[in-house]
Amino acid sequence: MASGLETLVVQTLNGLQFGFVLFLVASGLTVILGILDVLNLAHGELFAFGAYASVGIFGYVTGAIAAPVSGGIGTTIVFVIGILAAIVVTGLVLIPVGVVLESVFLRPIYERDQVYQLVLTFALLLIIIDVTKFVWGDVPIRTNSVYSGINQIPTSELLGITFPTYNVFAIVLGAVVVVGLFYFFARTKTGRIVRATAINREMATAIGVSTDRVFTLVFALGAFLAGIAGAVRVPPTAATLEMGTNPLVLSFVVIVIGGLGSLRGAFVGAVVVGVLRSWMISFYPPGEIAAPFAIMAVILLVKPEGLFGTWGETA
Amino acid sequence: MVRDADVHDSGGIDRRGLLKAVGGTAVAAALAGCSSLLEGDGEDGPGQADGTVTDEPIEAGMLTFTRGAAGVLGIQAQRGAELAVQRINDVGGIAGRREITLEVVDEGDSPLDSYNQFIEEGKDVTFGPISSGTHAQIAPEVESNEVVNVGTDGTVTTLYEETVPDPTYSFRFQNYDVMECVTMAREAVARLGADSIETVAGVNPGYTFGEDEMAVFTRAIQKLTGAEVVYEGFPELGASDMSNHITSVNDEEPDVTFTSLWGGDVTTFLRQASANDMFDNTTVVGSILYSAAGDVPGDAIEGTELYSGSRNFYWDHPRTGNWQPGRELFEAAQDQDGVSIPNAHYMSGYGAVTAWATAVEKAIDLLGSYPSQEQIATVLEGHGFFTPAGYHVMAEDHQGMSNAVAGQMVYDEDLGGARLEDVNIYSPSETAPSPGTTASDWLDSWSG
Repeated sequence: MASGLETLVVQTLNGLQFGFVLFLVASGLTVILGILDVLNLAHGELFAFGAYASVGIFGYVTGAIAAPVSGGIGTTIVFVIGILAAIVVTGLVLIPVGVVLESVFLRPIYERDQVYQLVLTFALLLIIIDVTKFVWGDVPIRTNSVYSGINQIPTSELLGITFPTYNVFAIVLGAVVVVGLFYFFARTKTGRIVRATAINREMATAIGVSTDRVFTLVFALGAFLAGIAGAVRVPPTAATLEMGTNPLVLSFVVIVIGGLGSLRGAFVGAVVVGVLRSWMISFYPPGEIAAPFAIMAVILLVKPEGLFGTWGETA
Repeated sequence: MVRDADVHDSGGIDRRGLLKAVGGTAVAAALAGCSSLLEGDGEDGPGQADGTVTDEPIEAGMLTFTRGAAGVLGIQAQRGAELAVQRINDVGGIAGRREITLEVVDEGDSPLDSYNQFIEEGKDVTFGPISSGTHAQIAPEVESNEVVNVGTDGTVTTLYEETVPDPTYSFRFQNYDVMECVTMAREAVARLGADSIETVAGVNPGYTFGEDEMAVFTRAIQKLTGAEVVYEGFPELGASDMSNHITSVNDEEPDVTFTSLWGGDVTTFLRQASANDMFDNTTVVGSILYSAAGDVPGDAIEGTELYSGSRNFYWDHPRTGNWQPGRELFEAAQDQDGVSIPNAHYMSGYGAVTAWATAVEKAIDLLGSYPSQEQIATVLEGHGFFTPAGYHVMAEDHQGMSNAVAGQMVYDEDLGGARLEDVNIYSPSETAPSPGTTASDWLDSWSG
């Protein structure tokens, strides 16, 4: 029987892994909300679309690259690079999808009441589900060798705990995306322009910033992150038509906890929700669903703007 | 319990003996999987029309899941029903005159409305559903509409104990939750020995079905072994991450872990359990793990002690090598869209149609004319019939009674999926209370 401390550590790592994938979804949702002022109800379906798309891309990569063999450092590195490339390509596939959705559907209604945006993004949600069904069919699809291939690489065993290497991979990848996003918004010119647009759209326009381009860029970035999240989520499970719903709902919780439109808030909120959910399943299972919403309710009562306020002044 | 090796093919049989054995009609023979023995013989037998039955087609409706995660099971039930209908129509239809047209509607969207639409359209019979929740919704409607419904999935005990305690027109074919959970409790004892089971855990779907299954399994295994329950986890349906539950099982290292996860959730569970070395810490028994037979990851279950039930049907029992009805069913199923390996849900659709069709033909024999709904319902009570899975009885309490199947789940490269090895068979008397006794009273009556 595992020790109590080991179980706590593993359950916390389980929560971190869940939280990082949740962050990938929530970060796109919150950035779109912060810049475009649009609550994108179709965001969960972009995650699901990415999951479906990744199955074929993973299939191509694993067909071309052998799974790592025990002790084979070279094959291991090549395999991991191949899987990483497949995940990035999946994100890239979602970029034109995001561009089309923003420029064709959303742009004409920015000036209208927000209820139109909600109705439109709900319609997009249904349309994406039907497109997904049309392309990939009604039944779940999965990739077979990615999860087991990555898990052949010993990592946590070196520390004496049982924790799948794929989950370590997901945590590390999520951490890299976190760092990359903060760097992009804090250190790059494009990122600063995006933040400036979030702080004061009129002023940004007055100094020559094309808000249309910024909006398209941000929506495409959100779609890219959702695609990556879908690709990371698929190997341990499957791509299903229903998989977009829960991440969307939990992402709402995350961005309310962290602050509407705050990237830093999304990160903290996702980790809090992931770890709290994990602890609840382990130590008080009935609280699994209620606990994140209870935290959200407390935040709304005590600090309605969320832990980190709104987007712009800081990433 | 009967071991797989104890079952033998019955050998040759002439036409008259065959018809008598399977229920007396060409339809019954076809549905038992013996139609090839009738070929070339134009002699009218029992169940053939004598002019009193019209040739008007019979309109049938079926509720099942045709998409999404549950579609993995629902499509199997649909294909099973379609094969049964095809076999009936291939011998001329009911009474040799009335062919069946089967309309299938997805159960996921407003199933009660869909069922009522069937009735408004004048369907002669309805089959399904899969979901226990839907079944509880439509069973009272079936009684008020007075049109026979034969449920495909077993669903839950409470249907005929509480929801519709004295049904007339509502029947169900497949083994229900008590039968499959008691089967797996007995299977765990058969595999490990009662003295070796001191602790049990459960990872079951987080809704009423999963909670009921764990509760029944717990009562049965505690009566059989006195085991203590050390962990119960209920991941939501379609959960993408079950690692928390698996870590908790690893923490407790129970002797047996019971699961009623089904379809795609089975694959997710097995994959993540393997990655977390869970099979090193416990023996897993599942009531319907085999529902994911065509989708099971071979590397995840290799070398594991993993046992699954398969309700009242496993395609390779008796062995298809010497059981022609089973072999023909398997080959026919594989030719259908969406069925890689026919499972218990396939038989649930096939058997529901078979139960109804053979009862109608029996009624025609008795009455000399096409029966009313009430007459069909009367004949269905206590009605015995054959499918390629064996002999079944629709008991007086409207619950189908069949042998239950369980075995070790292993991956078969040639099959491209899982098979059951070392199959055990459990009779209805071992897995279900007799009509008139509630499941709770029956379980209480076991000596602890």
